Amino acid sequence: MKKKILSSLMCMTLAASSLIGCGNAASTETPAQTDTPAAETTTEETKAEDTKTADTASDTASGDKVTLSIYTQYADDDTKVPYDYAVEQLKEAYPNVELNLIVQAQDDGQTLKTLAATGQLPDIYQASTDIINTFRESNQIMVLNDVAKSTGFLDKLYDANKDLAYAEDGNIYAFPFSGQEYVLWYYNKALFKDNGLEVPQTYDDLLKCIETFKAKDITPLALFGQEGWNTAAAYDVIATRYAAGGIKALDEGSAKVSDEGYVKAAKKLEELVAAGLFQNDATTTNYDQASEKFLSGQAAMFINGQWYIEDATKALGDDVDWMFYPAEDAASYEAGKSAFSGGGSASGFAVNPDSANAALAAEVAEFITEKYCEAKVMYRHNPLVAIDTGKEPDSEYPAMMKKLSDTLPSITSTTKFTWGLTNSTFNDAIQSESQGLVSGQFTADEFVQDIEDTMD
Amino acid sequence: MKKYMGNKLAILLFVLPALAIFITFDFVPIIQVFAYSFTDWNGLTTPNFTGLKNYIDLFTDRVFATSNRNQIIFAIVITVYQMLFATIFAITISDKKMKGRKFLRVAYFIPVILSVTVVCQLWSAILSGEGLLNKIFEVAGSDFKQNWLGDRYKAIYVIAFVNAWQWMGYQFALIVAGIKSIPSDYYEAARIDGCSNVKAHMKITIPLLAETYKFCLIISLTGGIKAFTEMNILTGGGPNKSTFTLTYMMYNAAFKKSDYGYGLAAASVMVLECMLVMLVINFIFRDKDQKKEEEKARRKRNA
Amino acid sequence: MHNEGKKPVLHYIFVVFCWIYAAFSLYPLIWMLFYSFKTNQEIFVTNPFGFPWPLHYENYITAWTKYNVPLYFVNSLLVSIGTVAITIFCALLFSYATSRMVWKLRTFTRLFLGLGMFIPVQAIMIPVVKIVQGFGLMGTRWSLIFPYIAINLAFACMVYYGFFKGIPMELEEAACMDGANIYQTFFMIIEPLVRPATVTLVIYIFLNAWNEFILANVVVGSIPALKTLPLGVLFFQGEFTTDWGGMGATMVIASFPAIIVYSIFSEQVESAMTIGGAVKG
Repeated sequence: MKKKILSSLMCMTLAASSLIGCGNAASTETPAQTDTPAAETTTEETKAEDTKTADTASDTASGDKVTLSIYTQYADDDTKVPYDYAVEQLKEAYPNVELNLIVQAQDDGQTLKTLAATGQLPDIYQASTDIINTFRESNQIMVLNDVAKSTGFLDKLYDANKDLAYAEDGNIYAFPFSGQEYVLWYYNKALFKDNGLEVPQTYDDLLKCIETFKAKDITPLALFGQEGWNTAAAYDVIATRYAAGGIKALDEGSAKVSDEGYVKAAKKLEELVAAGLFQNDATTTNYDQASEKFLSGQAAMFINGQWYIEDATKALGDDVDWMFYPAEDAASYEAGKSAFSGGGSASGFAVNPDSANAALAAEVAEFITEKYCEAKVMYRHNPLVAIDTGKEPDSEYPAMMKKLSDTLPSITSTTKFTWGLTNSTFNDAIQSESQGLVSGQFTADEFVQDIEDTMD
Repeated sequence: MKKYMGNKLAILLFVLPALAIFITFDFVPIIQVFAYSFTDWNGLTTPNFTGLKNYIDLFTDRVFATSNRNQIIFAIVITVYQMLFATIFAITISDKKMKGRKFLRVAYFIPVILSVTVVCQLWSAILSGEGLLNKIFEVAGSDFKQNWLGDRYKAIYVIAFVNAWQWMGYQFALIVAGIKSIPSDYYEAARIDGCSNVKAHMKITIPLLAETYKFCLIISLTGGIKAFTEMNILTGGGPNKSTFTLTYMMYNAAFKKSDYGYGLAAASVMVLECMLVMLVINFIFRDKDQKKEEEKARRKRNA
Repeated sequence: MHNEGKKPVLHYIFVVFCWIYAAFSLYPLIWMLFYSFKTNQEIFVTNPFGFPWPLHYENYITAWTKYNVPLYFVNSLLVSIGTVAITIFCALLFSYATSRMVWKLRTFTRLFLGLGMFIPVQAIMIPVVKIVQGFGLMGTRWSLIFPYIAINLAFACMVYYGFFKGIPMELEEAACMDGANIYQTFFMIIEPLVRPATVTLVIYIFLNAWNEFILANVVVGSIPALKTLPLGVLFFQGEFTTDWGGMGATMVIASFPAIIVYSIFSEQVESAMTIGGAVKG
């Protein structure tokens, strides 16, 4: 009896170690997409080694299979559709290349940074501005200037998006697929009409709307304040009414948060929060919660990027539209119509320079980027992509997108989404401090003071 | 006997496997964490030695005080909740007359089995603005509706409760295991002496399980000090970092701001705090023989 | 039960409380099951707590087709079993030596290992992965098992220490008299006595390894053949939106084996504990 537990423990250890030993066989530097039997995987590894010695992209056309690992998002339609399309197209253009998808985690870059720190960076990865800036210091992101030229990427890039390709030091580190993007103030037309309300142009109008909706138990504006970027955007749409540079100017240091316009904006947001613009638990609301509220008609307004047009139209049809941001008075409302919150960010597909197939990976990254743009135009009805794809959408653009396209030429200034900000200290501060304002438990004075202190 | 229990080879053989794994995969990394906390490092480039700069910045950071306050609240809430309920339930289900005790024992342990994500999702649904709890208050006609997770000062108590609720089951299981290993004749003797059930447990169970309780105390308190996951899921540290802890500061600095050195300084302070707590608890709960030995030593010195 | 007759009302209130608390502990299971059959709209707006109707069983189909569930399952199982077996083995020996054997540095050694309880995994992640690489363990299941052992070791040793301390010294004295050597004494006499602790620890360590996400994502996230079940949730988190129903289905798939293991084991716990008790008496 007494021996039993020991012997069973030993058995377990033995069994475990022999089983685990199998894991050794599955080890490979360039793993296959599916769980291939051990032998097959090993040959693949040696093949990858071969191509390493060849090292030029043209040599790989000789028919050797190459597996490239790619770190990108793959979950909802906005991320799955472009990826699947790109993979399909890749099969034809590069029949010898296979992709090993590593699904990106929602973890503020924790996984990617750890992979980089331990030399396990995938061949191709989706890089944000922050990642680009961090990795270029340690030479873990490939300079793509030549590839961008040779593949014709630069020629296809829209002029307005040129700045999205180049990092601060003037090099290209990532192929952007998103173009200029905008923060839109969505509203439910039907809810406004049913309650006899006009689209608010001034903050006084907005306060009236808030009052009416609250009396009807409708959330005036559903914010997903658990995500710092949404609260920062809520501040930015007000700040840009007073100072067109918005949070971008603060990020670049060309303006200070104690400047009059920014203080006024903070006070205004404080006032609107106190009046009940957002739902009570805005700071613990996630994206899906807030979005479902808006789409089901429980909330009258919503602040999100233009990429939301597709989903909003699908759910609400003609009942949804976006409005120009309200302002202090009618004059500044008109004047502010050309100043938008949001903007493009230097981000996109980047390449690991230490990859065994770096040159090929760079080409493939460029190819995938193009295909992402095409898929976004064709199947996601989003023409705001980085490059001119020459493709047409499979159905007509939604009305809101048309309205945005008509407005685009008159837009004179944009700001940044938080992921496009370059100063990570400011980025962290604006996200949390704006969340403080939205919670209604931090004052505008605290907001200004804290950001001021952090920036010193 | 002394020689028997002091078998050098046996000690070495017994201690070595654990020590080897611990040193390689835990202690060496901890040393590196301390070393890097004195540098300006983004996780990738070569670190530059910056002396105490990270620590000075840390102690003057507005969030540092908030984090420590939160950790203390968190630690106290979970310690009191878990030890109290775990003891009560463990004694209850150890009573062979209790009906359905097998079922109860499984039930209390269920939250431990589920992943933290599931438990936090559940509670965020219950605690959200229009969640179950507020609805119950509404139906009851009470005005006690709260923004449970969004309050600058009170949210931390709520988060601590969620953690305490989930992990109570584990301390419960430990105490049950402890009670099982107490010979039943101890209780027989107590009964013959005319002790009531509760009294018997107060006199026998709790003193005999001193080590288990000491251990429970350490995991509760240090669990509070290093809390992170619940905040990350339930509030994201908000509003405006008011539910941060030192671990959260580390996460935020290292991954959101690419300021690894600073983050590791926060982690180092946290580890030191945990060590301090452990040493204090060990001191308070000194073994009786240890105390006797100390006493002897003192007498020797006096003589 | 002397007090039973005296305070029946209080006693009944207490029993009712115990059952309500138990129901409250079981509720997440039912909630998770319901959740996994819902859409985002039902979860957040129309039906957050009720029975899911219509049943969106397609969540399970999505979960099953998006990733290789059986493979991930086997990986999780192997990693968890490996972790449990080695951790228990090491912790048993270590705690015995530090709690009952006599040597100079034992308190120091014990507290030294206790350090492991305090370190958040995010802080040591980069050094740990580098060490795992240094030993050439990358791409094997050991790359997860060793760090998991290290993480769980301190905890397990502390639990055992408490249990070993509670055993009277006379047992070893008797064994010594009978001529058993220290190894025989440990494995045949002492080890069975702490079996209740062992069983509790097996469950706890198993769950820890089974549910671990952060390290698994970094170490085996890029190796399809070695991925573990918790990594499945990644397939449901988009840049902005999350498919919560699909995630619920993934969590049910991941949790139910653990619950089944526990239910089976908890029977064993009961019998293991009675054996321990009998030997003791």
